[in-house]
Amino acid sequence: MPAETEVRFIHPDDFRRWVKENKTREAVDKLMTEREAVARFVPDGAYIANDFSSLTRGPQALIREIIRQRKRDLWVCAVFTIYDSPLLVGAGCCTRIDVGFLGYGNYIGRAVSTGKVKVFDYTNGVLASRLLAGARGITFIPVRNFLGTDGLRYSGAKVINDPFTGEPVCLVPALNPDVFLVHVHQADVHGNARVFGTNLFTLEGAMASKRVIVSAEEIIEPLEFRKDPARTTIPYFLVDAVVHSPFGAYPGGLPGRYELDLEYLDLLGAIQTDEEMEDYLEGHIYSIKDHLEFLQKKVGWPKLKELMRKAAIKEGYQ
Amino acid sequence: MSPGKGENMPVVEFTDTEFMICSAARLLEDRKTFFVGWGIPQVVAILAERLYTPHVVQIFEFGAVGPQSLTPFVRGTMGGPSNIYRSLQWTNMNWAFSYAVNGYIDYGMLGAAQVDRYGNLNSTFLGGDYQRPRRRFPGSGGGNEVASFCWKTIIVLKHEPRRFVEKLDFLTSPGYLQGPGAREATGLPKGTGPWRVVTSKALFGFDEETKEMTLIGVLKGLEPSEVLRGMGFEPRVSHQLLELEPPVPAELSLLRDEIDPSGLIIRGEKMQARR
Repeated sequence: MPAETEVRFIHPDDFRRWVKENKTREAVDKLMTEREAVARFVPDGAYIANDFSSLTRGPQALIREIIRQRKRDLWVCAVFTIYDSPLLVGAGCCTRIDVGFLGYGNYIGRAVSTGKVKVFDYTNGVLASRLLAGARGITFIPVRNFLGTDGLRYSGAKVINDPFTGEPVCLVPALNPDVFLVHVHQADVHGNARVFGTNLFTLEGAMASKRVIVSAEEIIEPLEFRKDPARTTIPYFLVDAVVHSPFGAYPGGLPGRYELDLEYLDLLGAIQTDEEMEDYLEGHIYSIKDHLEFLQKKVGWPKLKELMRKAAIKEGYQ
Repeated sequence: MSPGKGENMPVVEFTDTEFMICSAARLLEDRKTFFVGWGIPQVVAILAERLYTPHVVQIFEFGAVGPQSLTPFVRGTMGGPSNIYRSLQWTNMNWAFSYAVNGYIDYGMLGAAQVDRYGNLNSTFLGGDYQRPRRRFPGSGGGNEVASFCWKTIIVLKHEPRRFVEKLDFLTSPGYLQGPGAREATGLPKGTGPWRVVTSKALFGFDEETKEMTLIGVLKGLEPSEVLRGMGFEPRVSHQLLELEPPVPAELSLLRDEIDPSGLIIRGEKMQARR
């Protein structure tokens, strides 16, 4: 492994033992508040991953709660964490990022330049493959890209000769995050969950991670899953906490429910300096008690109604 | 859709971005598959579908296969309902890339901060070093997968000489690496690689033997020397240069009135040319 890099890695037998000892198979009520879920399951130093993006079905209420609780030294798997990674770094929560797509705007770029956050460059597809390996309980997965790049020097990937072809192939290490955060359309109190539309790696991420926090737009009855089981995205026994978070993806959109709020996203995109970041965090997160108060004070019902009205396309999301 | 011809054709005004989008849209083939990245490629795909390639199958890294995207293009959308409207399949990132890995994707399109003579791309950082870059960009995203797996990759970038460099600050996505045979030798799938470079002034291909970037077309009214001036390496020049038509009215009205009325993607530096 090159000296420049650090790799998050867990032996699959350690992960299996951890699952055996820590993940209950009992269908118990896991409903709790954002505050409790983050306090219990996101320790300082945790490696976190999420699905899908800051713009679409991202776990935004959970991210804000992580910032509110001033978690420290998190390591973030950044694929479509467009506005989340700047906020987490700006709030001092995140010190390391595995990069697929680092994030948007000047703030996060400068944070890398000044050494505020360390980065390890992979690609979106490689990070998805790493989570797939983590979900499959294998230590690595071969991929036929990432070869020939400078990212090889700053990541956990290795190149070997493929024993079947004799040609070079890239091996990327399995990724088993400490915590997977996902916002879903529907969940029951046990943790069974459905997402509609496309996803990045909802099932891989949930299966590969030690803890899974589901925030749900809507809580439905467990029987509903048994009536239409092909639509279950995550079964309950992978899930540690269920949070009922209406508008939990705001300011991103939830397909079929509400559109993204471009004005608010512009406000996030405009943050350039540490001072502007601090102002935003103070005004919109630290001084706000919880997600409900955030919606009441910072968004308001007229805006939420407008975003719901704009989500006119329902096909595929019912 | 053939652009108008004539001695006294009017001057047409457009942005550099509009020209790149139109130029790229004209390169696609109908009834082929197209891996679409975020931003400009999304607009190229919609324009091409409406005007030139109605049966092109768009694939997105976030798991949308074959959508018939609605217009106007929603600024910032990424897997939102109008972006993935009436798809053939909704899946996830690992499966979306699998189509490319297994040879099902004909065209891919991506941008970059820097490109070298072999079509290698940097979208990671400029200046300084990896730990302390002068300017840091988002990185690969899904660009490396597009550049590695699609049969033909189209690179789209603004024609600024400083973007064409002898040596990249960081190799994010592979072109032909160090030259003929290097892609295959490093283990990348055979028969893939950059095919065209679309800029705001010109069109480049890659020499079949040397794999070097080759000027094959210039925007109508520009001299090749104007295009080549200041580039950090000297590309080859084709003996028969194409004259690239500026955007035609049908393209511009679709882009401005229907696809991107807010001008978010198509805005840019003003240009003009005579039709």
